[in-house]
Amino acid sequence: MSIKNFSPYVPRPATLVAKQKLSDFVTLFTFEQDNGKPLAHKPGQFVNLSIYGVGEAPFSISSPPEQKNVFELAVRKIGTVTQALHALEPGAKIGIRGPYGSFFPVQQFVGKDTLFVAGGLGYIPLRSLLRYQLRHREEFGRIIVLIGTRDPKERIFTEQIKRLGERGDVEVLETVDRGDETWQGNVGLITTLLPKVQIDAAGTFVAMVGPPIMYRFVIADCRKIGIPADQIYVSLERKMKCGLGKCGHCQINDLNACIDGPVFRYTDIEAYQEAI
Amino acid sequence: MTTTYTVFQEQLPELFRQWSREYALYVPARTAEGFYDFRPWHEELEVAWEYDVAYNSPKRHLLPPRETLIRYDLQAYTAEPVFEAPQQILFGVHPYDLKALNQLDQIMEGGSPDQNYLRRREATLIMALDPLTVSPTAFWGSLGADKVNHGYDLYWTKIGPASFLVQVGSARGEELLRRAGEPMKATAADREAARRAKLRALALTRANALKYNWEETPRILGRSWDSPIWRKYAVMCLACGSCNLVCPTCYCFDIREEADDRLEKGERFRAWDGCMLESFARVAGNHNFRPKALDRYRHRYFRKGKYIYDKIGELGCVGCGRCVRACTAGIANPLAVFNELWEESGNEY
Repeated sequence: MSIKNFSPYVPRPATLVAKQKLSDFVTLFTFEQDNGKPLAHKPGQFVNLSIYGVGEAPFSISSPPEQKNVFELAVRKIGTVTQALHALEPGAKIGIRGPYGSFFPVQQFVGKDTLFVAGGLGYIPLRSLLRYQLRHREEFGRIIVLIGTRDPKERIFTEQIKRLGERGDVEVLETVDRGDETWQGNVGLITTLLPKVQIDAAGTFVAMVGPPIMYRFVIADCRKIGIPADQIYVSLERKMKCGLGKCGHCQINDLNACIDGPVFRYTDIEAYQEAI
Repeated sequence: MTTTYTVFQEQLPELFRQWSREYALYVPARTAEGFYDFRPWHEELEVAWEYDVAYNSPKRHLLPPRETLIRYDLQAYTAEPVFEAPQQILFGVHPYDLKALNQLDQIMEGGSPDQNYLRRREATLIMALDPLTVSPTAFWGSLGADKVNHGYDLYWTKIGPASFLVQVGSARGEELLRRAGEPMKATAADREAARRAKLRALALTRANALKYNWEETPRILGRSWDSPIWRKYAVMCLACGSCNLVCPTCYCFDIREEADDRLEKGERFRAWDGCMLESFARVAGNHNFRPKALDRYRHRYFRKGKYIYDKIGELGCVGCGRCVRACTAGIANPLAVFNELWEESGNEY
């Protein structure tokens, strides 16, 4: 038995260095690890964030790897930990465990086109992969980004997404489920965007993150236009608690979303009834 | 061949006395008419040699209902690991429970080894005991859980009115046996008597048995996802989680915390959780990945009958029958469910 003088449950201290409001409910938090080391994560992974006295919760990392000791989490104010997090001001301490979980196999994407499909807050983890690819732009083919949001008020990273569309080397298409007087763009579910782009199906990898309801429809459409099932990657979030594959909360049939996922190749989970 | 000794009942009080000086010693005892549980041993306590099943499984001694993982300081924002691993002896563990503990060992050691568990396990000695009576809801005999050949320090079998055959499983166990003097080597006749005692116990489990070879369970479940059986039982499920609590192989836990009233110090702990509870797979924002009782009921049976098997080659159900007895709605019965699924599949393997 490998008994070590170490507990994986002890968080490392980190400091909140910046806070930027992204929408009425979502804020981008920038943290610095107090040990001065980079988080050393890969795109698609998550961390468990602690606010002592309140609790711990898992969050996808939104910043690309290789960012010195700084990392970003974009968080929706929705539960007790996220409420408390939103109340913190720069300088505040938090605890961090991880990074945990699987990631987008970005080396496989090299030389190929990438189709990003982001439903709602799914843009947060995808942004880590997207920004990595933009930093190594020459290694990747076309970058196509589809973003669907419930309504215009809930859109996040709006400035960055606008600039993304203006770069010229990234194709960005956005839609909202319900429009309002401020919205000039496409209205409809994210599946309405797919027919608007010409996709070289055989040479395209898909990176998809969104609400549970989205996957089935978008995957069916991707398959319809001929994207091979083993080139589709999805991130499936569940109730990740321990992050170590032990506590049982995040099970998808017999898989643990915290260690076997959250990023799965579609062909690896196709037969799992609880996956999609 | 493993070393075996013959130990006499009259030697036991002195052995227990010796052990309880260094270890917390738990033994089976009667708690009410027809109910038994593991209790801390003391001079006046009568060991229930003929207990059929302990109401609570021994998992609580290795994975306690509540266990502190870290203590933190809110002012300094530091956290320290907490490892509590009392030196303990679990005496009188029936083979099906031993099998469950061995499973827990594998799960907790695998992947990212659970340090809190490993330390407790390291500090724990397990003395198995062959049953003399069988609980009316048990069916461990047909699950191959009557024989377990590892995971114990000493294995006790009652071979006469006042004698036991004791099989040595570890040097630590053998050393403990010597605390009251050099034990007597068992004879071939004693070993034969133990073999017959095991067979007698096994025979008592025949009243409740799977109708097929237990190793087919994962395959039968593999074809049963859409079976009407799940709904048939789940409509009555009260989502109380009693089956999870008493199950010796259920190990899921929640992580929570408490801070003191001045918000200066606090601790984060894990506490048992159960997949039958409505909140188990519910995330912030109120999305529930297993919202219906049917989803949860089926998940539990798939874990016991297929998922754990696929991982470690053993069923996650050891046939102790505790869930059958604890279920408030009378629907937790792996034997009935597995047999019905087998009937439904046309008795085909």
